[in-house]
Amino acid sequence: MIVINSALKQDEIKALLTNYAQDGVTFTFNKKAGIKQFFETSMPDKDAAAALAKQLIKGTPWGGAIFFSAVVE
Amino acid sequence: MMNGLIAWLEKYIVPVATKIGSVRWLVGLRDAFITTMPATMAGSIAVLLNALLRDIPGQYHMDGFVNAMQPIIGVNSQVWTATLAVYGLIFAFTWGYNLSLQYKVEPLAGGIVTLGAFLMGLTQSAAATLTLGRALSGSAAKILTDAGATVADKTVTTNAWGFFNFGAQFGSTGLFTAMILGGAAAAIYIWLMKKNVTIKMPDSVPPAVSKAFTAIIPAVVALYAIGIFTYAWTQVFDGQVFLDWVNKTIQEPLLHLSQGYGAVLLLTLLVQIFWFFGIHGTNVLGPVLDSIWLTAQLDNINRFSQHETVRYLWTRSSFDMYAWIGGAGSTVLLLIAIFIFSKRADERAVANLAIAPGIFQINEPVMFGMPIVLNAVYFIPFILAPVVMVTIAYWVIQFGWVSPIKVQTVWVMPPFINSFLATGFDWRAPLLQLFNAVVGFAIWAPFVIAANKINPNLED
Repeated sequence: MIVINSALKQDEIKALLTNYAQDGVTFTFNKKAGIKQFFETSMPDKDAAAALAKQLIKGTPWGGAIFFSAVVE
Repeated sequence: MMNGLIAWLEKYIVPVATKIGSVRWLVGLRDAFITTMPATMAGSIAVLLNALLRDIPGQYHMDGFVNAMQPIIGVNSQVWTATLAVYGLIFAFTWGYNLSLQYKVEPLAGGIVTLGAFLMGLTQSAAATLTLGRALSGSAAKILTDAGATVADKTVTTNAWGFFNFGAQFGSTGLFTAMILGGAAAAIYIWLMKKNVTIKMPDSVPPAVSKAFTAIIPAVVALYAIGIFTYAWTQVFDGQVFLDWVNKTIQEPLLHLSQGYGAVLLLTLLVQIFWFFGIHGTNVLGPVLDSIWLTAQLDNINRFSQHETVRYLWTRSSFDMYAWIGGAGSTVLLLIAIFIFSKRADERAVANLAIAPGIFQINEPVMFGMPIVLNAVYFIPFILAPVVMVTIAYWVIQFGWVSPIKVQTVWVMPPFINSFLATGFDWRAPLLQLFNAVVGFAIWAPFVIAANKINPNLED
């Protein structure tokens, strides 16, 4: 399970990850708890999936302005 | 209410922060400072070692020891000369390079353009003045005048072209000139590259050659534009170089402003507020922190290495050392308070995980794990603790009770060690940090106790 911690832009992050489908990699929204959003991923390597999620968020126009983290839980 | 606040932040504040955090010029500027780190760290190590081997022993008249260490001192001086002493020169290249990267044009040529533009704003000759015991005869004066010297009564002055004022203009004093002239040159270069005003090479040409040729026209135009400007400047302003004007009217006043308590307090407050509400404080405010307070710090480092009095009492690392112990908000103090006062299993679990990175100034685990972000219970101490700590440290340093920062250390260096090294081995600096830590702990503790009275399941 990948956890994205972010106070802001939660809807945008959810849309960004759930709409991502390249090279067979997908993210499926599981649940939200406060500033945490939990996603299942099809990537076997969860650390790589967290790194990819972080890269996708940072690649958005607002990604550099928000404080967030992408971790494996 | 929290959902309403988040919606308000996302509608009004995040777009502004996004704009600031994504302005390519500001990102390029921030990255330009970051990419000079290999040089600044090498130079800082050299300054630190020479402080240990030359400056401190010199204060205790240990001349024999200093003489014996001369080869190592000499090597350190070489390293400092090639790094911090010419920081403006190094930055002038990284500025154009990183800005070109932001706009996705050939970065090497971009760096060369801004480096060239910077050099055009500097003094390019050395003046030597000789004062004679008596005035020269007419014929003797004519010989010297015909050779290019200026003779006035008993004074003979001559200029030799091809000498830069290394000490006065290549270091941090050149930074704002590099930013302005380099920025103007880079703007022209990037604009022309984007407009494809370039020499097109066939596909068969190797990429390195092709990239270099592509950048020729934009680079030539950019450099000539700055050349015309800087030449005209010296003609209009009676030989004054652009750097002298920038220093007098922009750099020095801005750095002077940065030393005010108001500026220091405002920056601390803004960074804390940004972090609390989930905005990346360092990314958004980094260009301000680095271009102003880091410039002040580099000036201090260079002056310290030359045995001159440092000019700036509050610099970039001062925030990290005295207001942000363990990371923004001084969260390592929260962790200590949790170990002592908290019986909450969730908080203690986070504290156990977060304490090790916290000692190295990394507090992401506690910011999201506790969490601190948007946690109403910890809002007050997260803002208040750094504000109070920065106030204490600011005035203590103003009164001269602790030395200002004179040496660059890596930001992940643990507390007490970082301040001792960064102040050039001033033993009072770790004491100030300790005092601040106790004060910060006293601010965090009541809120940790209060948090224990709250059902964790109700916090969301």
